[in-house]
Amino acid sequence: MPAESLFDSAACALAVAREDGTIVHTNQRLSDWLGLSAVELHGQRFQDLLTMGGRIFYQTHLAPMLRMHGSVTEVKLDIRHRDGHKVTVLLNANQRQLADGVVYDLALFGTTDRDKYERELLNARKLAEALLQEKTATERALHQAQAELSEAYAIAQQRALFAEQMVAIVSHDLKNPLTAIRMASDFLRRGEHTPKEHQLLGHIGQSSERAHRMIADLLDFTQARVGQGITIRAQPVDLHSVIDRAVDELRVAFPRATLVHHAQGHGDACLDADRVQQIIGNLVANSVAYGDLQQPITIASRLGNDGSEISVHNYGAAIPEALLAGLFEPMTRGAHQGSDVRSVGLGLYIVRELARVHGGDVAVNSCATQGTTFSVKFQAGTPRPA
Amino acid sequence: MDLRHRNNVSVMGNGSSTLVFSHGFGCNQAMWNSLAPHFLQRFRVVLYDLVGAGLSDLGAYDKARYSTLEGYAHDLNELIDAYAEGPVVLVGHSVSAMIGALADRFAPGRVAAHVMIGPSPRYIDTQSYVGGFKRDDIEDLLDTLDSNYLGWSSSMAPVIMGAPGQPELSSELTESFCRTEPDIAKQFARVTFLSDNRADVIGLTTPVLILQSSDDLIAPVAVGEYLHTVLPNSSYQLVDNIGHCPHMSAPQACAAAMDRFLAPWAVANAG
Repeated sequence: MPAESLFDSAACALAVAREDGTIVHTNQRLSDWLGLSAVELHGQRFQDLLTMGGRIFYQTHLAPMLRMHGSVTEVKLDIRHRDGHKVTVLLNANQRQLADGVVYDLALFGTTDRDKYERELLNARKLAEALLQEKTATERALHQAQAELSEAYAIAQQRALFAEQMVAIVSHDLKNPLTAIRMASDFLRRGEHTPKEHQLLGHIGQSSERAHRMIADLLDFTQARVGQGITIRAQPVDLHSVIDRAVDELRVAFPRATLVHHAQGHGDACLDADRVQQIIGNLVANSVAYGDLQQPITIASRLGNDGSEISVHNYGAAIPEALLAGLFEPMTRGAHQGSDVRSVGLGLYIVRELARVHGGDVAVNSCATQGTTFSVKFQAGTPRPA
Repeated sequence: MDLRHRNNVSVMGNGSSTLVFSHGFGCNQAMWNSLAPHFLQRFRVVLYDLVGAGLSDLGAYDKARYSTLEGYAHDLNELIDAYAEGPVVLVGHSVSAMIGALADRFAPGRVAAHVMIGPSPRYIDTQSYVGGFKRDDIEDLLDTLDSNYLGWSSSMAPVIMGAPGQPELSSELTESFCRTEPDIAKQFARVTFLSDNRADVIGLTTPVLILQSSDDLIAPVAVGEYLHTVLPNSSYQLVDNIGHCPHMSAPQACAAAMDRFLAPWAVANAG
């Protein structure tokens, strides 16, 4: 086969260009690919056949590289067909020294399908990079949110501590003026008074009693939260008679309620009698506030080998499910309450703290038909030291 | 900071004035191989690679710093402070001509003169200005760069990053010629071709030699003529050359024009 027809029918497009890119020789394959005859191609500059991006690339990369190395390999370029569509090729070029100067031998390989595949690879890479960037940005945002959250948490904790300390100081400071009011009203009650004055003095006495109870609760609360914890002085006591006395006093305090005491078992329990009275007081006050006062409130004290137990039961609506979980946390209050039992919501919290400091715990059982029972169990033996 | 490492600085030649050569988009300092040796007898010559190009420290490439030409201009001023002696003439190809103009603006009086080879203050046409390109052309270039990313592989990186100051440096430079890390190449292409430095060159009073190729797609004759009109102390020299790199394809003509322009500073050191 003559060399000329081998050149024309080669499986790649071939061209020879001068150093400035002017095409001097082409094969038939290039004419076929571009829809341009050899006559039309000769005299044109190779770089002018490229798309604009390719031309810039030629000027900034290819021409300097050809000059530096005398060759380039595997450069992907788009060439414009006469009708405007792009032909994607891989270019290899080699410098050749002739008598009258330098020429470049160009070989162009069609790479349209491979180009599609490579573009898919590139797109996949871009997508992966974009996703990575997104992930990094999300992580950064998350970190910042976490930092802000923990800062807000620290501030909230500081504020809570400050508030509790303030409650401790204020309730402690209120105690003295209140004691003065109680003593003064007791003293005044001893003289002779009109019925109206007597009634007013009674109000002063009851109100300052209530205020005194609230302050005692607050002091216990702050003691448990920010102080050393609630302290007790436990000693062997007759539990039943302690409860009996407490119930008697509560009958005076809550004249509208019917209080019944059941005692079971015999013996002594090692407890702080004042604190046990406080427990019963808080639980009965709770029953009076939320229970059905048409039916009796039952206070039970039990002594056994495995320890002692006191409980308070009332009828009435069950405690809502939503309230049960946080029932013994401070500042928890039921929906309905009479104004005469209004408190800051510390009663049950103090009951739990007192039970625990005695080495026991408190439990509640509440349903609409059986009513509500709070039970405080004390362990046998010596309670844990305060 | 180790500037020599960052910018792969080469200092050579002997003279009482300093020529700082700054290469353009796409290549590295090896593109000066045909021109710079011409000046070694009369000038101190400083060559360097822009950060991200050639054998510069790729670790120093900070996307934010090099998101405009200003980052490169600050680098150039740092190099002048560190390596130049006597009056300084900046020889900038293509985008580096504008980097030089910015460096001059940032430190007035520090640069004695500019030689701008194929300069262009703006590549994209406006209604009243011919830069030679449309916005789409630049997108097409980015696409072509993308297509040739596949010629870059991570196994190539160690060779190209190399270790400056080594004896085989110059061969590494020519081997890595016009090969740039793909992401950097794309950002630099954007920064270069989307920049508009007309406000920086208009009225710049430093003496400037404009070396304009007679046929240059990247910096057409009209752009060179525009610069000549807005630079009050400029000389304009048309070089008979096809293409954007007359310092490579027509080094004698460039050297001759530069010799005439540089005569006032061309004094060898007595020592």
